[in-house]
Amino acid sequence: MAGVVVKGRFPRRRVIQTVVANLVRYMFQGAARSWARNIGGTAPALGSMTLLLLMSGLVGLTGFALHNLADIEASQASLLHVYLRDQATPRDVMMLWNRLEADARVASVSYTTKDDALARAQRIPGLPQLADSTESNPFPASLDVHVKHIEDVEGIDSLARYDVAVDSSYPTSYDKGAYQRIQVVLFGAAVAGFAFLSLLGFIAVTVTMNSIKAAIHARRDEITIMQLVGAPRWMVRGPFVIEGAITGALAGLVAGLVTFGLAAAGSNAAPGTFTQFAPGVTISVAGLAALLVVAMGLALGSGSSLISLRRHMES
Amino acid sequence: MRPLVNVRPIVEFAGVSRSYGSRLALDDVNLTLLPGELTFLVGPSGAGKSTLLKLINREIRPTRGTVCVAGIPAHEIKASRVAELRRQVGVVFQDYKLLPRLTALENVAFGLQVGDLRISDEEARERSLDALEAVGLGERADAFPNQLSGGQQQRVAVARAVVAQPSLLIADEPTGNLDQDTAWELMDLFEDIAAWGTSVLVATHNVEIVTRLQRRVLTLVHGRLVRDQPAGQTGRMAWLASS
Repeated sequence: MAGVVVKGRFPRRRVIQTVVANLVRYMFQGAARSWARNIGGTAPALGSMTLLLLMSGLVGLTGFALHNLADIEASQASLLHVYLRDQATPRDVMMLWNRLEADARVASVSYTTKDDALARAQRIPGLPQLADSTESNPFPASLDVHVKHIEDVEGIDSLARYDVAVDSSYPTSYDKGAYQRIQVVLFGAAVAGFAFLSLLGFIAVTVTMNSIKAAIHARRDEITIMQLVGAPRWMVRGPFVIEGAITGALAGLVAGLVTFGLAAAGSNAAPGTFTQFAPGVTISVAGLAALLVVAMGLALGSGSSLISLRRHMES
Repeated sequence: MRPLVNVRPIVEFAGVSRSYGSRLALDDVNLTLLPGELTFLVGPSGAGKSTLLKLINREIRPTRGTVCVAGIPAHEIKASRVAELRRQVGVVFQDYKLLPRLTALENVAFGLQVGDLRISDEEARERSLDALEAVGLGERADAFPNQLSGGQQQRVAVARAVVAQPSLLIADEPTGNLDQDTAWELMDLFEDIAAWGTSVLVATHNVEIVTRLQRRVLTLVHGRLVRDQPAGQTGRMAWLASS
């Protein structure tokens, strides 16, 4: 064997391997075994957490849809349709157009013909039947005015609605207070959703803390021994945090899958209607929501365990 | 065995008091324990023996005074350093506190590895077997606690307490659940451990053991250290028998 260099294993790497193996055994495997043994005690926490996370997922998606709806509403509220008389002359229409365009509060003005108005109406649920019920086109041509600020819409409406080119029976699309009413409804829904989730969150955290307290009680001898032989504090507490995280992750997984499944089912069953009522909620958004629900479960489970440990375990 | 001038004490209490609310459990206690010393801590129930042991192991802090264990100031260290102190102290309980799902060998190895994650399985097995052989249980290493007698379980607990070679071993009523013969075997073991250089402090009510062994005896009454009798001068301790 002369001249042959035999490379030994790097001792430091062996120490790291040993530490990792011991960590896996005493923290992760220990936590998993304890979790499986205490499944009966963990079940209420698992149930309440799943319910909370499911509600969070659904409320989250609803909130996202409402937020998009509010954006759409805001952009529609700043768009004023000025409906033109069928008999209006091109000169009258041009004069009105120029007057509107010259106003500093207006961002832009565009013209929609009767045919374009009909085509647009046919894309709105319920209106195609109305459009098809008469032989003539019932939808008027319009000047579509983008106002810079929502609060100026009323002024532009006053400027346009009495013009000779404008339909006197239904002059504009302006609905005073409609945007504010939607804002109030959305704010109310957000407050109610937040209060509901807070209550569910409180229940889930309390139940989880109690289940961890039971787990601590079941393993009190093991904890005492670990503390007395000089195990570091994080190692004594770690398995319980992991137990909580397992509960949270499992609850999050179930809730995430149900959230995703419901959104995907709704989107597949009636894509048009779903998009109308839940704008922006696509399959990828639902998938992201499901992932967030799982992450929230992990945080909720391990966080509740930490709070419980601080309360019930001797430092 | 009296303190030697140049030997560094393992335990030093200086003016230590500890109260629980308005009740004073320990009152102005001063003492030192030296390496290789087997010391008995005696006193009636409620005298403060368990409080004194808990102060050594930093399960509680003193209300007043200083406690040093193996050079570590137990009275002022942060919670993050408690583990470091406890690796210097082995503890034996009256009720053994063995984990029922683990064998004798695994119980000892568990104590070794959770205290120091760098110890590999092979090393833990080897050292645990050595410790079990030292307490006379090498043959029963694979037995579960419920397959062992009370005395054997207590010896496993001693093996677990000394396997990491602590500077100090404290035992709280270790013979409380044992018959007299088994208690004597355990005391022989403590004498051997002290002979290896570990300081051993045993809180006990067992008068016969204390009087026959003639080791140093610390007597606590109402939280005060009323007597510190050197080895060979403990007398018959008649008061303890009647307490």
